[in-house]
Amino acid sequence: MSDTKTVISYREALYQSMNTALSESPEVVIMGQGVDDHKGTFGSTSNLAEKYGKERVFDIPLSEEGNTGIAIGAALNGLYPIQTHIRNDFSLLAMNQIVNTAAKYKYMYGGHFEVPFLIRMIIGRSWGQGAQHSQSFQSLFAHIPGLVVIMPSSADTVLESYNYAVQKYKGPVISIEHRLLYDYNFNSNYNSNSNSQFKENPFTSRLIREGSDITIVATSIMVIEAQRVSDYLFREFKIDCEIIDLHAISHFNKEMILKSVKKTGKLIVADTSWRAYGVCAEISRIVCETDPSMLKAPVVSLGMQPTPCPTTKKLEDLFYTDDYTFTKKIIELVKGKNHNIPMTERSMNEAYKNFKGPF
Amino acid sequence: MISLYKNLFYQSLRIRMVEEKIIEIYPSDKIQSPVHLSIGQEAVAVGICNNLLKTDLLYSSYRSHAYYLAKGANLNKMFAELYGKVTGCGKGKAGSMHLAEKSVGFMGSSAVVASTISHAVGSALASKRLNKNQVCVATFGDGASEEGSYHESLNFASVFKLPVLFVCENNGLAIHSTIDQRHSYKIHEHAKSYNLKSTYIEEGYDFMKINSLISETINEIKLTGLPQVVEIKTYRYKEHVGIGDDHHVPYRSSKDFDNWKSVDPLIQDKTLINEFSEKINAEIEAAVNFAEQSEFPADSELFTDIY
Ligand SMILES: Cc1ncc(C[n+]2csc(CCOP(=O)(O)OP(=O)(O)O)c2C)c(N)n1
Ligand SMILES: [Mg+2]
Repeated sequence: MSDTKTVISYREALYQSMNTALSESPEVVIMGQGVDDHKGTFGSTSNLAEKYGKERVFDIPLSEEGNTGIAIGAALNGLYPIQTHIRNDFSLLAMNQIVNTAAKYKYMYGGHFEVPFLIRMIIGRSWGQGAQHSQSFQSLFAHIPGLVVIMPSSADTVLESYNYAVQKYKGPVISIEHRLLYDYNFNSNYNSNSNSQFKENPFTSRLIREGSDITIVATSIMVIEAQRVSDYLFREFKIDCEIIDLHAISHFNKEMILKSVKKTGKLIVADTSWRAYGVCAEISRIVCETDPSMLKAPVVSLGMQPTPCPTTKKLEDLFYTDDYTFTKKIIELVKGKNHNIPMTERSMNEAYKNFKGPF
Repeated sequence: MISLYKNLFYQSLRIRMVEEKIIEIYPSDKIQSPVHLSIGQEAVAVGICNNLLKTDLLYSSYRSHAYYLAKGANLNKMFAELYGKVTGCGKGKAGSMHLAEKSVGFMGSSAVVASTISHAVGSALASKRLNKNQVCVATFGDGASEEGSYHESLNFASVFKLPVLFVCENNGLAIHSTIDQRHSYKIHEHAKSYNLKSTYIEEGYDFMKINSLISETINEIKLTGLPQVVEIKTYRYKEHVGIGDDHHVPYRSSKDFDNWKSVDPLIQDKTLINEFSEKINAEIEAAVNFAEQSEFPADSELFTDIY
């Protein structure tokens, strides 16, 4: 089982999950702009149209609201549609259908209907994505009862969640992927043949590093950042971080977070989006409503600066949280502001340095 | 006096040479921004803008370099913008996808498909209400006509009798999807169902023909105050985004490409190319130099301009 350990990239995990969905579930169709072209949604749907036929994997017009409604209608009548938005930003055109109909279809009609479908949306970052190709809308969606909103941060969270969504879950799932994760390689323990595959609901959070000094709650690519920063802090200063990959933005594991904060007394939330009214605010709400006395210091949150994303790299570098700030905030939380720890490393994530668009 | 043909040729060639310069610079990574090149489609922007006053307002998509230049915006500021410099038309915050220059009536270019079409309609509403006597122009791709807001915009402009020129630049592609994969209708025919006049030009390389049709159309719009649609067939030489050629990929054919090139004045008219190249090159070199010499925005710029 877990000795079948392999290394796969995020992109390969996405591809595998799409491939499995089509091969295991005849009701699955992938309908999205460009899913059948030679770039194959950044490699995640490559050649699937050839393999499964263009009745099951097909390109659709640039009509996001209509397309989403069409997917909902198809789901109401027996298909499992998978849709894609190559940038999270474009999903705003589908918001009406997602929020006003999909999310409510079961409840509003008294529980008689199911709308099982998956919408994949990709966050862009770096290399001049600018104001309209870089947004990260998890909190907008997670605000709405009726939606499952996930942000897979690894190959296994993709595989677990997508296979579960397609094979078990009966409602709309919004998955927000990160473009810069596509080239990351991950150790994978996922075993699709295992009987225990769906023993646990994957729409929850994951404790990915145990530590005693501070709790880091992170989303999407910030989970990778948290790991790198934590490794560095432990190696250099024996600061021991606990990391929770929030993963299910709409259905995260509150108990896991509370238990961890109770232990460490310190909380830092690192999200890919703006902090106001977002994931950072929500996690703080949960802690405050439960027992703020478990905090030994004020909560710290990290996210995008409260501006639209500037295109020029000079300003874009300031717009996102860098490792230096992340590290500094943790040291200050754990050791106090007068910590006297020399901070030299000002490394930017390799992926940001290496990513050369244009897309 | 320089002939109309030479004038339009010059403008079109200038746009092409600017974009060829971008292609040359791009591998150096000094332009860190996705670029959607207009190479092959220059005649459309030139043919439209030649008939507009600075006070007429134009909105376009992310494929905006040609419109920016044809509408008369400054080349130095364009290269500076692509370089992410504070002297750019958007202080580096815009990049290639969001060029705009208010002083010449180039009102915006959005990276979300079809999202500026309605802005032209709204500007025409204001123009009518405030007696500004402007024509407002929306330019967009064939793919954009699939969005609901395109149809909503045509309907509104027609019902409210607004002076809008809608120009569809039909290059037959939305990224890699061909138009027959996406359309059950012909854009110029279908537009007529909104009770407005609509015309079609097949020769999107022919700036003279485009110019004369647009001239007629704009005169009519000014006279009647009513909206019109013009669809212009054109050809995208480069990949959707980026600087590469992708005619080796089966979604399109190099035969079509060869056909377009064989009638493209910017390739065929060697005499004029020779006559104008030196002057244009000098202007481009100066603009690139300006961009190179300019400063990046100060850190504090991150927090300016948020209303
Ligand atoms: C609302 C929205 N959906 C999808 C996209 C992704 N996208 C960017 S350009 C493009 C194709 C647009 O084609 P067309 O309107 O014909 O313009 P062209 O690129 O050919 O000039 C698509 C689908 C987007 N930017 N916005
Ligand atoms: Mg097009």
